[in-house]
This record gives sequence, C-alpha cells and structure tokens, in this order.
Amino acid sequence: MPNLTLKFKDTTLEDYQLQKGNSLTIGRRKNNDVIIENLAVSGHHAKIDSVADGFVLVDLQSKNGSFVNEQLIHSHWLKNGDVISIGKHSLVFFYSGDEVMPDDGSDEMEKTMVIDTSQHRNMMKKSNSKIPKSLTKGYKNEIVGILTYLAGGNGKIKLNGKITKFGKHRTSDIVVKGLFVGRTSVTISRRPDGFYLSYVGGLSKPKINEKAVKQSAILKNFDIIDIGSTKLQFFTQKNLTKKRKK
Amino acid sequence: MIIVESASITDKGKKRAANEDALILEDALGLYVVADGMGGHRAGDIASRLVVETIGEYIKNSIDNDDCDQTVDFDETLSREANRLLSSIRMSNQVVHAASLKNRSCRGMGSTVSAIYFTESTLIAANVGDSPIYLIRDGKIKLLSVPHTFLAEQKTLNPENAEKLGMEFRHVLTRAVGTEKSVIADIYEIQCFRDDILVISSDGLNDKVSSEEILELVYNDGPDAACQKLVDLANDRGGDDNITVIVLKVKLVKNSPHGINRFLALVKRNSFRILARTKINLMLKYPRVVKCRT
Repeated sequence: MPNLTLKFKDTTLEDYQLQKGNSLTIGRRKNNDVIIENLAVSGHHAKIDSVADGFVLVDLQSKNGSFVNEQLIHSHWLKNGDVISIGKHSLVFFYSGDEVMPDDGSDEMEKTMVIDTSQHRNMMKKSNSKIPKSLTKGYKNEIVGILTYLAGGNGKIKLNGKITKFGKHRTSDIVVKGLFVGRTSVTISRRPDGFYLSYVGGLSKPKINEKAVKQSAILKNFDIIDIGSTKLQFFTQKNLTKKRKK
Repeated sequence: MIIVESASITDKGKKRAANEDALILEDALGLYVVADGMGGHRAGDIASRLVVETIGEYIKNSIDNDDCDQTVDFDETLSREANRLLSSIRMSNQVVHAASLKNRSCRGMGSTVSAIYFTESTLIAANVGDSPIYLIRDGKIKLLSVPHTFLAEQKTLNPENAEKLGMEFRHVLTRAVGTEKSVIADIYEIQCFRDDILVISSDGLNDKVSSEEILELVYNDGPDAACQKLVDLANDRGGDDNITVIVLKVKLVKNSPHGINRFLALVKRNSFRILARTKINLMLKYPRVVKCRT
C-alpha cells in the first residue's frame, strides 16, 4: 500500500501508510489521522479515500484550500509522486518500489470513453472538417437498396427492411412465381458494407447477371437478378431523410 | 433451426486491475452478448453486467409471454426477433442509465454491447459501441458490427480529415449504452449458412490481434481452442485491456420442411414406427410363422 510522508519545508516530520478500505483525515484538530498544527490549516482540512485500487484526495471545503502539484483541487485521483500542499506543509504520496500501481489515468485516451458534445465539437474543429451540419448531426445518410422489375411484375421494391424474403409462399415479402422456386427462395439483407443476396431453398437457384448464387453474394449497382421467372435490377440510392429518433 | 457450437473466455488482461467486460452465452435462446463497461472508478463492471443480465432476461421473458410488451416502438421494417433484440438493448440502456443516476459512484458509467441472436434460419447482429462482431464465411472475414467511434465515423464521412486524427481517438465512442436517456443500436439480419463462424469480442482483442489473424486461428481450431489461443495472443502482446471472446460455429441450418418435403420427412420419421406396428400385427395374427423366421 502507498505511503504518505508529511514534510515541513525540507524536513520530514512523519510517515503514514494508507490502507485499502480506510479513509485518512487531515486537519488541525486532534481527532484527525494526520494532524498539522498550523493556523493556516482548517480543523478538518481534507481527507483521502480509498476507492477501488486507488486513492482520492478530497478537500473538505477548507479555508485555504488543498493543492496537488501546485494546482488547487477539490478532489484528485492520487498518482505516484504527487505532492499535496496544505498550508506550508506538504504530503508526498508514493508507492514503494515493487508495488502494483493502479491505472494512473495518464493514458486516459487508452481507456474507452464516451464523447460528450463539447468535446465532440472541439475534435471536429481539430479535424478541420467541412462536413455539412445535417450529416454530422444525424450521422445517417442511409443508403437504400431499390429493385426494379424487368419481368414478372411492375414498379419498384424498396429494400427498407433489413431482411427481405422472396419466395413462393404468401408470407414472403415479395411473392415470386415459378415451379421450382422455394417457399422462401432468396433473402436480401443489409450488412455494414452493402446488400447481400442469399439463396435459402428450392430447386432453382437465383442468378446474379446470369451466374447462379449458391450461398450469398454482395449486390452491385445495376446487377440483374433472376428468381424463377422474375427479373429484377438492383441499384442503391442515398436516403437523405434523417432516421426518426425514437 | 440453427445448431451452434459455442465457446467463450473473458480475461482481465495484464494491465487492468479489474475485469470490466461481461458476456452471456445462452445456447437455449440462441443469444450471445459481449459488453465492455467503462466509466467511474468501479462502475464499468456494474454497467456491463447490468447490460448482459437485462438483455438475457428480457429475451427470455418476451419469448415466454409472446412479445406482448412489444407494441411500443415496433419497427415495421424489421423482423419480430430483431425488434425483440432492439427492445432488449433499449431496456438495458434504461436500466444502466437509471442506475447511474441513482448511485453517485456510478455516475457516467456506460457499456458497449454486441449481440448475436439466432432465429429459425437467420442471424441478427446488433451493436452499440466498438466491440466488434466478425462473420467468417467462405474463408473471408468481415465486420458485421458498425464501430461507433469518432475515428470510424470520421473515416466514412471525411477520409482526409480522419488521417489527421491520431490513434488516440480510436477509443472515443460516439454512442454507448447507459450514458444517455436513449440509444440507437445498429442492427443487421442476414441469412445464416452452415459453417459460418462468428466472433464477438471486446476491443482488448482487436487492438492486439488483426482480423486476418483471427480468421486464421478460428478457422483451424474448434471454438474452445480458438478462444484460448486468441486470448493468449492478446496477452502475449501486452494485454493492455480486458479481453473477452465468444466464438460460434454454425453446425447445422435446417429449414423447417414444407410441401412434399414435409410429407417425406414425416414418412421417414414414422417409418420405423409403422414397420414395428406391422410386425406386431403379424406376430399377433401368425405367431408361429413370425417366430420361425426370426
């Protein structure tokens, strides 16, 4: 466990050891763990709490304040070698040589964290972006897949669902005719990198540009898809309407 | 019906004092979730645990009572199961957010979530945050999750500017479970095939091990051995963060039979019973003849 050395100017006055699970109080009054007899020090000046594997210094609204490494603090996560200044006295916080130190938080960016809006704005500035506001706000310029009937039907099919089922059965999203077409013959699903067509069942396999698909394949713009007697052409379109927030 | 062979490991790694990752592996439900907690001093592990527990319970309950509480926020464009998974993530967001407001030491805690949920013949992948979900199919590895990091989003919006940002931005999340009142997850439902392999992990793995290495290790080994090797490799390279891995191998995808196939399957299943019955009938009718023959 880490040590705390009480010093006045350059002379060492006393050593304390911090215990995990225990708090340590600092002040002028006699009922403190660390007593500093100096009028600049408040009766109950500050305390050190054990939190998880580390220790936190908390100022108890003292009159003259607590400083760590010459910075005024209200509460401070103590790191190896920190110098706490209270009045003219100082307390040095250090771990003995071979001890395991908790994460000192200096590699804050290494830890996962969530961005808040002000931080976000700063970083956007740093990256010098000229992105239109509408895009950065919603982050969703979602791409929509569209199928146009070339044969076997009329109009367009919008692939808005994440999985669209094609087959003979009436529960399919798109009903396709053909003797050897499966009950559910084909599904088209969205994935992060595009739309994928997958063969599910039935004797006749779907074709993309006249090539039979045995399992699953990514769809490119203007690909022609054959399912049974139905012919469809695929293309993508940017959907600029922002996704409604729930 | 989809039959999956599954394995998982969660490891503290070498540098961190506590394991803030959590996972669930529910073969009976077909549900697999990894959550990577963060924030607060000790709250990260609380957040991730709350997330996996809430999702597991929610899915179980909504199967039991037939999704009756799902009338709110039902997204017509998604399947029923996908809606169920989305609701469970929304629910876990509420639980974590409420807990963080209630308890001072938990303030600001949050978690990532990456989930795989199998239906009759498809798989659903949903995620919030940067824990990756990989799909290995036909010897290729692809990301099924969308990383919600500042760096990744910049890359898609504006590749030039993303290059200026250093690697220190790779852990900056733009979304997490529990940090705000509501959360939107990315969700994908795709057809599932035999021999598909899925890997869900926390960033402790993919910071240290490239996707090609994951592909190679997972392809050649069973899920158990693959999990162990992946964790060992990440630890050998420093083990800077908690490491959690779930490996799933799809052993069988069976579409429920219909039409003529259903009839054939029924005949096949019952043929033994029919044979046995005719034999008994014969034995009753001609006891001696049958006996002599056997």
